[in-house]
Amino acid sequence: MADIADTAPGAAPANAASNAGNDSPDYEVQLESLNQWQLAWRRFKRHRLAVIGSLLFLFICGVAIIGPLFVPYDYHIIPPVNVLVSTGRPPSWVSGNWNPVLLMGETANLQRDVFALVINGARLSLAIGVGATIISVILGALAGGVAGYFGGWVDWLLMRIVDALLSLPLLFIILVASAFLGAGNWVTVMLIFGFLGWLGLARLVRSLFLSLREQDFVYAARAVGVSDMRIILRHILPNTLSPIIVFSSLSIAGVIIGEAFVSFLGFGVSANTPTWGNVLTGSLSALTIGNWWWSFFPGFAIVLTVLSINFMGDGLRDALDPRARV
Amino acid sequence: MGMPRFIIRRLLASIPVLFLISLMIYGILLIAPGGPEARFAQNPKITQAQIEAFKKRWGLDEPWPVQYCRWLGACNPDVSGTVFGTLPPPTALIGNSGLPNILPGFLGGGDNGILHGDFGFSITDGRPVGVVIGDRVLPTLILTGTAWILWVTIALASGVYAAVKRYGWIDQALTVFYYVGLSLPTFWLGLMLILIFAATLHLLPVAGMWDTRTIPPFASDRWFAMLSDKPLFVLGDLVRHLVLPVVTLIVVSIAGDSRFVRSSMLDALNQDYVRTARAKGVAERRVVIKHALRNALLPVVTNLGLELPFLFTGAIATETIFSWPGMGRAFIDATNHYDYPVLMGILVITAVLVVAANLLADVVYALVDPRISYG
Repeated sequence: MADIADTAPGAAPANAASNAGNDSPDYEVQLESLNQWQLAWRRFKRHRLAVIGSLLFLFICGVAIIGPLFVPYDYHIIPPVNVLVSTGRPPSWVSGNWNPVLLMGETANLQRDVFALVINGARLSLAIGVGATIISVILGALAGGVAGYFGGWVDWLLMRIVDALLSLPLLFIILVASAFLGAGNWVTVMLIFGFLGWLGLARLVRSLFLSLREQDFVYAARAVGVSDMRIILRHILPNTLSPIIVFSSLSIAGVIIGEAFVSFLGFGVSANTPTWGNVLTGSLSALTIGNWWWSFFPGFAIVLTVLSINFMGDGLRDALDPRARV
Repeated sequence: MGMPRFIIRRLLASIPVLFLISLMIYGILLIAPGGPEARFAQNPKITQAQIEAFKKRWGLDEPWPVQYCRWLGACNPDVSGTVFGTLPPPTALIGNSGLPNILPGFLGGGDNGILHGDFGFSITDGRPVGVVIGDRVLPTLILTGTAWILWVTIALASGVYAAVKRYGWIDQALTVFYYVGLSLPTFWLGLMLILIFAATLHLLPVAGMWDTRTIPPFASDRWFAMLSDKPLFVLGDLVRHLVLPVVTLIVVSIAGDSRFVRSSMLDALNQDYVRTARAKGVAERRVVIKHALRNALLPVVTNLGLELPFLFTGAIATETIFSWPGMGRAFIDATNHYDYPVLMGILVITAVLVVAANLLADVVYALVDPRISYG
């Protein structure tokens, strides 16, 4: 019923006009039938914050992809030792002498342009967030699907592995793994986050599979001889897509914060390739001499990105799974 | 099935999990390139012979199954040699007293390995790992305990209030706070707090646990003497140093937890028994506290129980930023110095605590909720 009411404002005038033309009885209401995704899209559009969040996230992605081409400063040019100073220059709009390039100031010591660092850092921060999430989703959906579908000892073994991994202090493990295996390489850091991030999703997908595998359409598929892998991938998995999409959006946000944290401590991506986290390494000591811009802008970029992703994720959850609303 | 049987079953089920965990912890550090001798890699004065001696001294020249077996406490470290070049010989499983080495010490087993509570010695300073970790427990508990009490109280109070006065201005403010709080990286929040309250306003200290100019090192004899002499001064100084790290720790947690309390409370307030109570004319205050809150607390208590290991592991970011001498800092220091025994000790203890907290939460949940059948 709600759907009919929803179509009314947009659809009614058009119907009225066409009805008037061909003299059809006025009780015959023309209804466009929408599939699940069109319905979800309509619910999503009504969530204003989610739309704003998605646009902001798209904008940040755009900046990450093409932004570095327009930055006037190279972040990796390091001044010779005799030019190094222990305090950086503030943003030009604060210091008063307008300078179109010194937008976000300059770091102490290495005198790197903070604006160039933030724009270049967006690339790796987002790439690690998205890349690690893709790995986690594939692993989690497969492990959860196989465990839930087959049950038995496969289920037992997979779930014990998940239990054991979830009992590990994951943050500690990520730190140690990045420090000892990462060697500052961003791909390794992404892999570490990806390979440790699928546990929650595996449990979720497994529980969904447990109920879905008892449904009639699965019995029907099995009766006509569809293979197990095809049933898992083509028949059951599409039904679990909504929670997976919601998980993905929240996972991207989580990995961005996590990577920033690990890199900030100096165990993640090396400073040669800036991310929003490793840019902040060393900014603590500069804070006490008043260099606020160094810490503020990269962190603010993280907050803005994660906020936009969280809003988007909220909208996705409301749109894809209206019953799960808190 | 009875409760004792349920607990025993869960205890037994956690044994394979703990075994897997110990293997994983060992495996992660094993595949790390370099190993404990990586600490010498940057030092040109260390010769290859010295590295070999170091490896022999710490038993690192043995194949990994032997090392793992000794670290676990199943193998007797005094028995050398291998079978097939990699596996420990069966005789290594027998302790010096002639009984299986894996037995507890008072039953005639060995005294080495994590199963006997022996985590080895720190490579950095040679002290037993237990002592290294023990030194850090009290500062961490002071920090995380304060944070935990504050955050539970604030999250409960604000969550319940927001649910009762739904869509009131406090509820709206909490919703905004929820979104912003969840998007804040903890370490960046700490940086910003230092910037505002320490570097700009000079209200609170930037870092540390005590004022080094006026107060002796924490928990030393002189510190205790001063504490009994001028308790207000010492404790006041401690509180001043606690404010910023505690706020850093709790903001993000409160954002998530108060939302959780709110939704759990809203759930309870929509139940039939609450409507019945209202229909009978029970005072609203009593309805909220006696009827709704008691039921809403159930999932909340479980959730808070699962967060208990945090009291021990502390907060890596917060302790690093504020130079707090706790567990998180110890972990970072051990990572920086390739101090494998300390690293593994912290990882194992934390993992055991997490498993125990999970078990506790399950048992408490089954105890208080008659709808749960513990099969």
